[in-house]
Amino acid sequence: MTDFLNALVLLTNFVLLPAITYGSQLALGALGVTLLYAVLRFSNFAQGETMAMGTALAILCTTLLQSIGVSLGVLPTALLGMLPAIVIMWGVVLLTDRWVYRYYRTKRSKSIVFVMASVGVMFVMNGLVRFLLGAGDRNFEDGERFIISAADFKLMTGLEEGLALKTTQVITIVLAAILVIALFWFLQKTKTGKSMRAYSDNENLALLSGIDPHRVVRITWMISATLAVIAGVLYGLDKGYKPLSYFNLLLPIFAAVIVGGVGKPAGAILGGFVIAFTEGLLTYAYKAFLNYLVPPAWLPEGLIQFLSTEYKVAITFVILVIVLLVRPTGILRGKVI
Amino acid sequence: MSKLWHNNTLRALAFFSIMAFMLVLVGVNQSWSVAIAILNLCIISAIMSLGLNLQWGYAGLFNVGIMGFTALGGIAAVLVSYPPVKDAWQVGGLGILGSLVVLLATIAVCVTLYRKLQSSSYRWLVLSLIILVGYFLLRLVYEPAVKAIEATDPSRSGFLGGLGLPSLLSWLVGGLFAAGAAWFIGKIALGLKSDYLAIATLGIAEIVVSVLRNEDWLSRGVKNVTGVPRPVPYEVELQQSPRFIEWVSNWNSAKLAALDEVARNDALQKLVSDASSIAVKLSYTGLFTAVLLLILLLSVLALHSPWGRMVRAIRDNEVAASAMGKDVKGRHLQIFVLGSAVFGMAGAMLVTLDGQFTPGAYSPLRYTFLVWVMVMVGGSGNNLGAVLGGFVVWFLWVEAEPAGFWLMNTITSGLDDGNALRTHLINNAQYMRVIVMGLVLLLVMRFSPWGLLPEQNGQRR
Amino acid sequence: MKKLLLATLLASIFATSAQAADDTINIGIEFGFTGPIESLAPMMAASAELALKEVSDSKALLGGKTLKGIRADDTCVDAANATTAAERLVTSDKIVALIGASCSGAATAVANNVLIPKGIPMISSSATAPALTTLDDKGFVFRTAPSDARQGELLAEIVKNRGVDEVVITYTNNDYGKGLNESFGAAFKKLGGKIVASTAHTDGQPDYSADVAALKASGAKTLIVFGYADQGGKGIVQASLDSGAFDKFIFADGMIGEGLTKNFGTKINGAFGTMPGGETEGSKKWEAIAKENKIDPTGGPYRGESYDAAAILALAIQAAGKADPAAIQAKIKDVANAPGEKIYAGELAKALKLLSEGKDVDYVGATGVEFDDAGDVKGAYREVEVKEGKFETIKAY
Repeated sequence: MTDFLNALVLLTNFVLLPAITYGSQLALGALGVTLLYAVLRFSNFAQGETMAMGTALAILCTTLLQSIGVSLGVLPTALLGMLPAIVIMWGVVLLTDRWVYRYYRTKRSKSIVFVMASVGVMFVMNGLVRFLLGAGDRNFEDGERFIISAADFKLMTGLEEGLALKTTQVITIVLAAILVIALFWFLQKTKTGKSMRAYSDNENLALLSGIDPHRVVRITWMISATLAVIAGVLYGLDKGYKPLSYFNLLLPIFAAVIVGGVGKPAGAILGGFVIAFTEGLLTYAYKAFLNYLVPPAWLPEGLIQFLSTEYKVAITFVILVIVLLVRPTGILRGKVI
Repeated sequence: MSKLWHNNTLRALAFFSIMAFMLVLVGVNQSWSVAIAILNLCIISAIMSLGLNLQWGYAGLFNVGIMGFTALGGIAAVLVSYPPVKDAWQVGGLGILGSLVVLLATIAVCVTLYRKLQSSSYRWLVLSLIILVGYFLLRLVYEPAVKAIEATDPSRSGFLGGLGLPSLLSWLVGGLFAAGAAWFIGKIALGLKSDYLAIATLGIAEIVVSVLRNEDWLSRGVKNVTGVPRPVPYEVELQQSPRFIEWVSNWNSAKLAALDEVARNDALQKLVSDASSIAVKLSYTGLFTAVLLLILLLSVLALHSPWGRMVRAIRDNEVAASAMGKDVKGRHLQIFVLGSAVFGMAGAMLVTLDGQFTPGAYSPLRYTFLVWVMVMVGGSGNNLGAVLGGFVVWFLWVEAEPAGFWLMNTITSGLDDGNALRTHLINNAQYMRVIVMGLVLLLVMRFSPWGLLPEQNGQRR
Repeated sequence: MKKLLLATLLASIFATSAQAADDTINIGIEFGFTGPIESLAPMMAASAELALKEVSDSKALLGGKTLKGIRADDTCVDAANATTAAERLVTSDKIVALIGASCSGAATAVANNVLIPKGIPMISSSATAPALTTLDDKGFVFRTAPSDARQGELLAEIVKNRGVDEVVITYTNNDYGKGLNESFGAAFKKLGGKIVASTAHTDGQPDYSADVAALKASGAKTLIVFGYADQGGKGIVQASLDSGAFDKFIFADGMIGEGLTKNFGTKINGAFGTMPGGETEGSKKWEAIAKENKIDPTGGPYRGESYDAAAILALAIQAAGKADPAAIQAKIKDVANAPGEKIYAGELAKALKLLSEGKDVDYVGATGVEFDDAGDVKGAYREVEVKEGKFETIKAY
């Protein structure tokens, strides 16, 4: 029994918990992308850089707050610092929309034109973010790091394996859950949310029924930016801020969107978790885990790993390609792009 | 005037003259060596941009996997021209060939059974079982071979090397590699709706590059292959060749005659050194230009052939073309393969020019999105436009950096040296490059949406 | 906007030609300001520029000439960009020597395609791949960062001597990490140690818990990290501590720095490793002047090396008596190697004076530079250990 528990704790600690956290971060980012897709009908390549810029601003605000002595106690101050960052990012995305995307919207350009424009925005933001805060690594976490540390857990339970629960992990999961619920409530129950869904389903019909398209677009941008900043800050709190890794995050986020079903908020969340879990499960070395469950003599040499961790990036895309081939609309049958 | 401006030939002439003028300006003000170095990369960029123009401009295929095809071309350059590493072949060559056989056998069995068991309900079970068995068998043969190869003198080789054939051949092979991969990818992915192709190619390119980065026995992985053979002589050889020295001194006889003996020798040495690097670069320019012209010629001919008209008809209205009995999928596959072959050639040429293969260098920003910017800026659907785009964008990409430094220096020249803002701006000036690229793309899309040289006939999108 | 961009570009092309003033000597500083090591490059450049400034301020170089560092970006990985930038430095800015390029791949490309053919000396302060030792460089390529081969062997000895017999390794997936992994692995096995597993990690990844999970599964208790303190290496340590997978670490130079102890403090007590720079006196003097100039000397790798590269070039210019590439190249070993009066960081003015008087100097600098025939530094190393959340030197080799 202890062996079984040990094995379970081991798996939870190294695969399940990190995957849930990473999955939540991906899900928030993917929600932003998918909402934009649902309403504006293009894949926003600049979302990764939006996350980076939001996080950079949040770091600046946090530093400012810390310098005047504000702190949230056990919680990281960045949770407070991210609020002004969100407001600033609203301004940034709305201005971008005004200067870049609106022109193509009134011209009713093809979605590929929007995508190319977002690549342009991505380039510009990529540079601006580095201008703002440099390309270096920043650690802006404060407050209590652990709720339960691995050593404490071992003491408490007497098990051989430890289970560490980080504050940032819990914040990430809780905040993501709250945001998702709030978002769904907003989309299902409020008038604005309904008009957004109507606009997404059938633009012409929505226009006929008197929905203000500009307002819908504005709100979509604001929600997507909010999600991007929060996802970015949570990610940064968990793993440290570094502009390049936000660019790298863009690809798994896209994969999550498509795997789940484009334009489907629930699909984005599902996709995020599917990616995070497959990555975790496929690159996990099962040696120590199996050691608890079967006699060690039965086990072969080596780490018992499906794929080495170097191929982690590739796994995301293999899932993506398989989904595209087998079920091109995604798990939840999203739109066909 | 405005009518003249809309005449495409004149417009092209004007833009290319400006481009040439800019390169000459670099030659005069920076140096000719830099100008020719930029020109060489401009030509390679133009070739890549022609390939994308074929796919996107002719057929509307949204390929975001250019990086992968370029990388495949790159490895071809290594595999063809690098001399074989005999020791590595001895210890692991057999194992690698063996695992190749196992891999192919597994695939063959899978395909056969997939067809045979069309209606059987065990189909998936049997197939997964065979794949699993094949996988373990493969690892059994493959892993010891790889270990042995990678342990052979790891700091210098640790890989199988290539075939030691002439490097010009590798450009062709690079194209073939990429074409083969493209055929395979196209077979699977082209049936999807067009925008899914984008995401599929994006993913496949990542997979290709991560294989090249991690399979050291094949590509030395991140340790890079250096000293890839060249089709042109080395500068140092030229500097020691009496014929070359004589040639240079004849060329500059007037200048040299005015100097005394010691100064003359010094000056001659300097001239020879400069001339050798320019000579080598010019030989590359010659080779690259030949390839560029050939591809350009073929593209133009193809565009104006019945085949080209059909392809554009498919692009502009897929449904109508299909209803008229045109084989849409077949044409798309053709074009996907052809365009990708062009990327592969460009990739091989790039590795030959650099003299080294660096798998870590392949990033989507540089090898995929930048090429897209080239085509969008140049004018999609127009071959000359694509070439122009390749030239302009590469030029900006390399010159934006010094321009950024200069701009920051000028803007902040009113501030004193230790000023924090000034230091910050100057220290971060190199990020100007991406910002400039983004701005150019956005501005061209907004104010000249068909690119600098729009497509001449066919429907504008 | 379009016009402004065009004007800027034009102006900059014109402007670069205007700066060939007689009393300045240009030296190229080509590091990866964008790309994978973009976070390391700025401080490396600042360190190199510190040495150039020290020389210029002394007014003792060739009768009062100033050294100007011209920055260029080698992007760390893209050979095409790196060569074009080097080409520009050499032929347009007329540099007499180059500090860089930063990553081994870019350094090889730049050396083979530009500097060796043009006969201009370069000193890389961060390219550590063993392959550079055997490069046919005609004596023009030097480096102040030691080759990974030496460090791997030394670290293997230290680890074994400390009684650790079983380790698991994670290395950053580039030539530095892989090279170090190979040299350490070979040496450690020869000494009878066991490497249970060695896996690569990719820098700039979103998440490292999977990597750590795989390492943990090996069953080894001690983790060796060959990575960078501000990149994947940090992520690995973080994930290891967070999940309780490892608490015993062994590091190589890329990981050692205040950046790491600032993050993890006493949590990594007992971790040990090697870093370049045997002469503790030299490194102390370097730390002092670096801190004076707002450079955190141990906050990241290759800062002392960059300072040294710049300083050696300056001294070689002085020794050569003229700013001529070939003459400088001939003097680099003379000023860096014994015999002569030992010169430390911050003493460049003294060295310049000695050289002008025709005396011999032996530049030691921040990292104890001493070139061998291949232009590599022999690699003086220190064994360091984390005690009470700070790296402390145990022994110099």
